[in-house]
Amino acid sequence: MSNLCSYQDVSVTSCMGTRTNMFSVSHKTVFVVDHCPYMAESSRQQVECDILTKSRGQGVIPLAPISKSLWTCAVECSMEYCRILYDVYPTAKLVNYVVSDSEFHSLNSWRQEDQSTHELMSALAAVGPPNPQEDPECCSILHGLVAAVESLCSITEYQHEARTNLMETAERVANRGRIICLTNAKSDTHVRMLEDCVQETLQEQNKLAAGSDRLMPIQQCELVLVHVYPQGDDTLVSDRPKKEISSVLISEVHSVRAGRHLASKLNMLVQHHFDLASTTITNIPMKEEQHANTSANYDVELLHHRDAHIEFIKSGDLHMAGSTSRDSGLKETVTLKWCTPRTNSVELHYCTGAYRISPVDVNSRPSSCLTNFLLNGRSVLLEQPRKSGSKVISHMLSCHGGEIFLHVLNSTRSTLEDPPSISEGCGGRVTDYRITDFGEFMRENRLTPFPETSSRDDSEKCPSERAKAQLERHTRYWPMIISQTTIFNMQAVVPLANLIVKESLTEEDVLTCQKTVYNLVDMERKNDPLPISTVGSRGKGPKRDEQYRIMWNELETLVKAHVNASERHQRVLECISACRSKPAEEEDRKKRGRKREDKEDKADKNGKEDDKSWQDSERLKGTQDKEEQTEAEVIKDSPDSPEPLNKKPRLTEEVQVPEKSKGPVSLLTMWTSRITVANSRKHQEFAGRISSVNNKAELYQNLKDENGMDTHENGKATR
Amino acid sequence: MPTVVLMDASLSMTRPVSLEGSEDFQRKNLAVHGLTMLFEHMATNYKLEFTALVAFSSLWELMVPFTRDYNTLQETLNNLEDYDKTCLEAALNGVSNVVQQEWGSGCPCQVVLVTDGSLGIGRGSLRQSLQTLKQRADDKKFPLPFPFPAKLFVMCIANAEELQETDAMDNLEQLIGINDGEGQIFTMEGPLCLKSVQSMFGKLIDQAYSPFHAVLHCGNLSSDVQVFPRPEPIVMDDEVDPMPRIVQTDLEIVGFVEIGDIASPPVTSRHLVLPTAVNKEVDEVGTGNAEDAEEESSANQMAGKSPNFCVLLHGSLKVEGMVALVQLGPDWFGMLYSQADSKKKSNLMMSLFEPGPEPLPWLGKMAQLGPTSDAAENPYGEDDSKSPFPLQPKTKRSYGQNVTVWIKASGLQTDVQKILRNARKLPEKTQTFYKELNRLRKAALAFGFWELLKGVAELLERECTLLPDSAHPDAAFQLSHAAQQLRLASTGDSQQAAFDHNITPMHTDFSGGGERM
Repeated sequence: MSNLCSYQDVSVTSCMGTRTNMFSVSHKTVFVVDHCPYMAESSRQQVECDILTKSRGQGVIPLAPISKSLWTCAVECSMEYCRILYDVYPTAKLVNYVVSDSEFHSLNSWRQEDQSTHELMSALAAVGPPNPQEDPECCSILHGLVAAVESLCSITEYQHEARTNLMETAERVANRGRIICLTNAKSDTHVRMLEDCVQETLQEQNKLAAGSDRLMPIQQCELVLVHVYPQGDDTLVSDRPKKEISSVLISEVHSVRAGRHLASKLNMLVQHHFDLASTTITNIPMKEEQHANTSANYDVELLHHRDAHIEFIKSGDLHMAGSTSRDSGLKETVTLKWCTPRTNSVELHYCTGAYRISPVDVNSRPSSCLTNFLLNGRSVLLEQPRKSGSKVISHMLSCHGGEIFLHVLNSTRSTLEDPPSISEGCGGRVTDYRITDFGEFMRENRLTPFPETSSRDDSEKCPSERAKAQLERHTRYWPMIISQTTIFNMQAVVPLANLIVKESLTEEDVLTCQKTVYNLVDMERKNDPLPISTVGSRGKGPKRDEQYRIMWNELETLVKAHVNASERHQRVLECISACRSKPAEEEDRKKRGRKREDKEDKADKNGKEDDKSWQDSERLKGTQDKEEQTEAEVIKDSPDSPEPLNKKPRLTEEVQVPEKSKGPVSLLTMWTSRITVANSRKHQEFAGRISSVNNKAELYQNLKDENGMDTHENGKATR
Repeated sequence: MPTVVLMDASLSMTRPVSLEGSEDFQRKNLAVHGLTMLFEHMATNYKLEFTALVAFSSLWELMVPFTRDYNTLQETLNNLEDYDKTCLEAALNGVSNVVQQEWGSGCPCQVVLVTDGSLGIGRGSLRQSLQTLKQRADDKKFPLPFPFPAKLFVMCIANAEELQETDAMDNLEQLIGINDGEGQIFTMEGPLCLKSVQSMFGKLIDQAYSPFHAVLHCGNLSSDVQVFPRPEPIVMDDEVDPMPRIVQTDLEIVGFVEIGDIASPPVTSRHLVLPTAVNKEVDEVGTGNAEDAEEESSANQMAGKSPNFCVLLHGSLKVEGMVALVQLGPDWFGMLYSQADSKKKSNLMMSLFEPGPEPLPWLGKMAQLGPTSDAAENPYGEDDSKSPFPLQPKTKRSYGQNVTVWIKASGLQTDVQKILRNARKLPEKTQTFYKELNRLRKAALAFGFWELLKGVAELLERECTLLPDSAHPDAAFQLSHAAQQLRLASTGDSQQAAFDHNITPMHTDFSGGGERM
């Protein structure tokens, strides 16, 4: 798969169904993590990383359990917050990561390319763990909090673009943000002091920002203070729900033990801050590592935007849908059952939303089995467990280009059910639409992504406008039904028809078009039958020369529609005008043809040999030959024409039809032709012989005609 | 968009309309007259709309469940009996239930409440309902706003002055307010008579039931169509972009995409695209008599026989398994496809994507989709074996890039065990061993978890002492080399602890047979 385009960094709308404001509080998040010496303290949650197996255990002293520092706990939980956030919102939800000790260190910027856990991990490694030897007196979280407020004032590229686009209504672009501060506070008073500091800085910075172009005053700021303390200690700080400190600042305090508790707190916060909800996929069959032929069923929990549950939430049966409270007691998850995919058929589901997911436990075996299965391009339908036993497919997991989405499928009654069939409406009774040809047309007009050019020339159309322009060119002459067209039913016209719609033609293209025209001339000269529709006309339809006249007219219409495109298009039209039998000549020929018939009729009536008529017929033959010769000469004389195409069939024809050979005519030939002509007056010619090519008639043509377009599609790419 | 007609059948509706020189009309008669006009309009121009009829007084009753049979609706309406007093809250609860049972909570609906504006007294009156709005238990919530997107149209068989004399108007306005402002109150202008009720329902029809006519274009091919249900305006971001987006009446096809490539995209709404005859007179309101019907059917027959682009497009989309991308307005797109209702019936359907330049991440920006002929080589391949879709995002998601998470002890244990397992299979597993080792090293450095680096170094040194005699000599060298490197990293030395630094296998050469070290 080629990767022509990648996502543009700046796209103003957030993706999918979330009709929340672009610049809500969750547009900007500043993490402020305490890097002061006391954060180097152990969390006292021990991890046993040396697991000895029974067979190897003897005589070996296991490694002492190790424990993470407060800093390590804070960092890994905040990174997990970011991981989930970036999985679900790869764009437009931005994080600025700040650590604070004797000064602040901003580890990244608001720029979209700085938004990845890898970037942050790299920067964190450079910072390293806090230095316990550092003087605690000069270290403070305040440096970080002040920097966070300053950072919220600085404009993101999304805000910048939106302001630029809105011009005079730029004030609609709001500036809000959230500060998540992970620290170890001394007391509730200490917490108040931190809040006051943020409030004061907000006022100062807003004044500053009011007079700057690159800064914006903060309209709303949410401060989430998380006090982290070691296991086993008593907390010195009490929890406090959201409180309005000022019209701009809202603050809340969470007091959490490091380790597992901190992790589940931040997991809860990320769900809360970004409107996420949890779905547990249950009954996932997975091969056991040890026993490859058995499979056990596993559950995997995913996070995604909560709108994926909207139907459950609104109908109030979140609980009916199998939701259960989990360990934290605060979160709920909706359980959906895996339906083993049976086919890989491509189907267009009616889907009312699609939301990016993030697995809660990303590198657990069940999670990675599920995500790898999906990343390989399979889709899984999910069933809503119901007590009644009826099976309702409500969701689908599907991967698009390395991203997994939870699709919400409509499972309620459709208001569009039982509509009148299209065959009952306008145009519904017509049966000979050029369905296959239009299918071909659609393939030619398929779309493909083009990379955005940095310097958009105003004169240059964007790709989608070019696509429309191509559709316009391709439809300038496009009869919708088979009986309306001759040329599009002819294999011989295909090369020209495909080329003439192009915006510009090469010399080679012109040559191909001309060849096509000569080929048609040749067909006409040989009197080849044309696939003219006889629908609506009685009997055999128009005469052969009339058929060709229709064909040439149609071809001219097609080419004339494109003649203004270029000088080369013009040349194709000239070629047609030069090659097709001139209407005047046609008339001439018709008259002469009639004369001949009259005379032959007379001869017939007289019933005896007539020298004059003999001479006449001979003379006629002569002129006919001459006509052919002049036509052939025209071809040869035209400047860049190659040898006439179908040379071979013509040769065989000459062998087979001795009457047409030049040179003196034998008495026998004259006699035979005379008799043939006379006899032909007495009976109706066989239909087969009339429509024969080189004395060969195709049998059972009527069957093909009845089957619709098939006759005319022979040789064309039909599928 | 289904409609629920909520008809006030309380006694007050039987109040006579005092009008000199005319027959004795009750307000109810006027209401029935107005609804008859609405039903007639729908039967002609909005045939596919499902409508239900609910009558209410102190109780409510679903008189006609959702149907397209307007004769039944009309008949039931004509035979509606009179009951006791008005109790709107219960009736609105009823509407909420009826709609959710039939259509779920995602389907937008319109509720047409027809009342004389006397909204009850005492318990169960609207006034009382509104007064107690804030003092309710969770299980007794006021039914508005409805759980589904709904517009509430209040058709008052009364004039505005009359309603303003009491607090009826205020209460009704409050009602619309609770429904997030979705809806409107219609009152009668001038004397209460057939004419003014007609003009009031005429306004409702214009507002909510005017068919959406558009022209579908594909280059120079085009067809007049009706889009049903009519697409409603969408507000994307009430802050940055508060103007509602409206589907334009020229629907322009941009190009075509395979069904597999568009991959069941999320849509905001679905609509039938019905080709209409050019002959517009058929659409006129109020063509009801037999002569017209006959004319209409012959006109329909004529229309059936002349080729229509929609039918061609539908046929080819169905056969090819493709969709047509269609532009609905600036930065707004949708798709046209064939939708099969049953084995025989199928239809041209249009689904609308969310407005915006990039509604489907796997297709990229819509404006950047261009003709394949512009590409240097055919992105679908000469034999149609490739596809330019889906687009790959610039960065991988966490589940696609083997991230390290040690929040649960098991995550850390697994990673350490993986290293030890490979350590025991050195030198065969040298590559995997160092890959896992470096992954652990990077994460430990980022998390400031130096203690882990020291611990794993210790484990590797122990493994070194536990090596069996049969072990390849290289194993011992690699283990002690790796342990030493981890220890260096755990010192935080700027060189050795660099995040992007990788521990590489120690270069040893045992292949020569002799010991050259």
